[in-house]
Amino acid sequence: MIEFLLNGKKITSDAEADTPLLWVIRDEFGLKGTKFGCGIAMCGACTVHLNGSPVRSCSLPVSVVANADIRTIEGLEDQHPLQKAWIEHQVPQCGYCQSGQIMQASALLATNANPSEDEIVAYMSGNLCRCMTYSRIKAAIQDVATQSDSVVQIYNPKTEAKRTQGVS
Amino acid sequence: MTKFSKDTFEKSRRSFLIGSIGGGLMMAFAPSINALEVASGGAVKQLTDKLFSPTVWFEIDTNGMILVNIARAEMGQHVGTAIARIVADELGADWQNVEIKHVDTDPKWGYMVTGGSWSVFQTYVPMSQAGAAGRTALIEAGAKLLGVNPQDCKTENSMVVAGNKSVSFADVVKNGKIDRVFSADELAKFQPKNPESRQLIAKPSKALDIPAKTNGSAKYGIDVELENMVYARPIIPPTRHGCVVRSVDDSAAKKVKGYQGYKILKDPSDTVQGWVSVLADSYYGAVKAGNALQVDYDLGETANVSEQDIIAVGETLAKDKTSGTLVVDEGNVAKAAESAKTSLESIYRTSSVLHFALEPVNAAVEIIDGVCHVHCGNQWQSLFLPVVAKAMGMAEDKIIIHQYYLGGGFGRRLMGDYMIPAALTAQAIGKPVKLVFTREDDSRFDSVRSPSVQQMNAYWDADEKLLGIEHGAAAGWPTLAVAPGFMPEGVDKKGKYDPFSISGANHWYTLENHRVRAINNPLAQKTFVPGFLRAVGPGWTGWAVESFMDEIAHKQNVDPIDFRLSLLDASGKNAGASPVSVGGAKRLAKVLAEIREKADWGRTLPKNQGLGIAISAGQERDMPTWGACVAHVEVDPETGAVKVHKLTGLLDCGTVVHPDGALSQTEGSMLWGMSLALFEGTAFEKGQVKDNNLNTYTPLRMNNLPILDINFVQNTEFPTGLGEPGLIAVAPAIANAIFNAVGARVRDLPIRPKAILAAMPT
Repeated sequence: MIEFLLNGKKITSDAEADTPLLWVIRDEFGLKGTKFGCGIAMCGACTVHLNGSPVRSCSLPVSVVANADIRTIEGLEDQHPLQKAWIEHQVPQCGYCQSGQIMQASALLATNANPSEDEIVAYMSGNLCRCMTYSRIKAAIQDVATQSDSVVQIYNPKTEAKRTQGVS
Repeated sequence: MTKFSKDTFEKSRRSFLIGSIGGGLMMAFAPSINALEVASGGAVKQLTDKLFSPTVWFEIDTNGMILVNIARAEMGQHVGTAIARIVADELGADWQNVEIKHVDTDPKWGYMVTGGSWSVFQTYVPMSQAGAAGRTALIEAGAKLLGVNPQDCKTENSMVVAGNKSVSFADVVKNGKIDRVFSADELAKFQPKNPESRQLIAKPSKALDIPAKTNGSAKYGIDVELENMVYARPIIPPTRHGCVVRSVDDSAAKKVKGYQGYKILKDPSDTVQGWVSVLADSYYGAVKAGNALQVDYDLGETANVSEQDIIAVGETLAKDKTSGTLVVDEGNVAKAAESAKTSLESIYRTSSVLHFALEPVNAAVEIIDGVCHVHCGNQWQSLFLPVVAKAMGMAEDKIIIHQYYLGGGFGRRLMGDYMIPAALTAQAIGKPVKLVFTREDDSRFDSVRSPSVQQMNAYWDADEKLLGIEHGAAAGWPTLAVAPGFMPEGVDKKGKYDPFSISGANHWYTLENHRVRAINNPLAQKTFVPGFLRAVGPGWTGWAVESFMDEIAHKQNVDPIDFRLSLLDASGKNAGASPVSVGGAKRLAKVLAEIREKADWGRTLPKNQGLGIAISAGQERDMPTWGACVAHVEVDPETGAVKVHKLTGLLDCGTVVHPDGALSQTEGSMLWGMSLALFEGTAFEKGQVKDNNLNTYTPLRMNNLPILDINFVQNTEFPTGLGEPGLIAVAPAIANAIFNAVGARVRDLPIRPKAILAAMPT
């Protein structure tokens, strides 16, 4: 019996210890947004967050996630700015890889709110998009990064100084 | 059987029915065979009795919501959005009130196939007319409610408007009684709106299928769950044809938790030969048990075939000028060859290519009350429904294919072969089954793009005038494999050929002497099921045609764009025909002239960099999408590695119905072209493809992304296709750019660094 948090909810699974987390998420708990693509952790369609870090659930035995915090695309609850940007930029074509793309990109922005273009490319190149929507994925991430830039700057000492000046 | 042709819909003549049904308003095409009865029975009666036989139909409910039913597969092209916008524009609908639904294989939808970049092209006129008929009926009923003359009314934003009076579609549907039949003749009189009065077509819009694809709620075939279903995984035999299971040892599989045994499949349709399916109460259990299962086979005869074996057969056939079927025979090439003072011969080859749709093929099947329900995403339901029926020994009307989003089509899902093992397994165990291929299973069962060999010959006279070109193209033929009845006869009446495996060779250049031979490679045909892969024939014939045009231009010391323009004179058969190919080769010349400016052709570039040009004319001569690509590449002369800096694309597809969808399709198709040029290629080894997964099969990723500069010619001509054509010119443009960068002429796809180094002038 393995216990972990799935999108904030404590759950238990009696799947075999070596079962990839992907099948537990999809078939035992019915969250179908996480996709099966290659089965060898090279396409990224199965990307979920393990304690906030992106992992390939197709190759991660469920036993490894005991007591961990797992978040899937459903766990973003349509609230993540990337999801809005994905619609704004009309990113998906067939859409099959996009849950994984969004999970990968959201992990990037969580640790690096304002990544450079090179950083985006380096971080996202493990996620294959067979429809090749790459330029839109990149643009959508840059868009959100630019928005979050202002948020970051509120806490930037320089900006803070300016604000303080303005107030005084 | 209905003919498989992009003209299928347009040629049918149906009346159109509009009637108030159950509180709503329904609009549908009547069956053409039934036109008289329809007229006498009235639209409401026919619609109530569900006697209509439309390809697409739509309805408006009392809240004014408009539901457009889409029989086309959604695989990323946002086809439902494009089709619904055609209808809604003519209706005068508020786009906010439009919804779409993808339907199952009820025969009323007509012939179901999604491919060939045909969808918008085929539906543009009939759906415009259907929308216009709906508008007319709404105006008639609305005018009555407003107490005005119908002639004084128009529709806009889902309202019937007469001066300062108006009534909403919702109120017309609620309060008006409509029972209206438009005869096929009446329907034909509706011309699509003139471009200036369009509200939706060619205007910016967001695709209706996209939100569900950003939150995990979009449902694909692989997401289907049936009550009490058993999970299954197939064991793919070593050869595509001819394997027979001798014995199965499942002693190791029995140790897998949840293992439920195996079935040796008997398939009367011969789609799957020598197949075993493994059953378990979880998919991972089925995968593990499958890995543990030992199957012993009598092998098919292609068990030792290699890629090189197939290529060698192709080379021999291409060289033999008597092989194949003539598809083009202008002038007298043999005479030109005899009288030629100089000549040029080049052989172009392409490797086997995988579809690698990211959703591995799968199907869920259950049999309820003698009806077999197949759940999966598919592009050509009308071809494979009868195959499922044959495999199951059931009548065709007892098979229903339920449609879902496709996790990539690219032509792979034109084949519905993956439904068969799922259906047979469900039948064998008497329980619902969900059969999913692993990625490796999917690759080994892929209907790959056949390896090809093309021999090109050009001839010049003593005055260095180009006399003519001869083109022989040998490959495995998908249409021969799955729909041989659809193959037309060659111009020499020597036999039939696969039009989808030679299209593109019958190009729009005017040549006095021009001969094209379509040649089937029998070893390819025997070894695997040749597949339709995005851009199909032009995707590889264009490789030879446009590389060779460049070779000729350089041999003649003429600028490659000037040379092409000199042959695009739009004379004779290249003049085009109204409305679809109006302008003919002149439109191609215009695209070429414009991209020359756009890409700043002829500028000086740093060492080892070059620009290359290639053109394309879409999927078929009678549905041309005029296009050109300029590639800007840099070659590392030490390693032969190619970096693509930029791809410039310009396409004329007539009216661009859904502009952002068109751009997105072309971004994808051009990058597909680049991926096939530089990164994708596998090889047959012992009768099967050797690359099964991303560890060795390496499609383009974000770190390979070049700058994309894509534009569409703005005009209001008849809309043609866009899903595939962007792909065609990319590979030859890259090869031509490599030649301009470092003087290396490469003739094999994919272009490998080693080949570039070998071709570098010393």
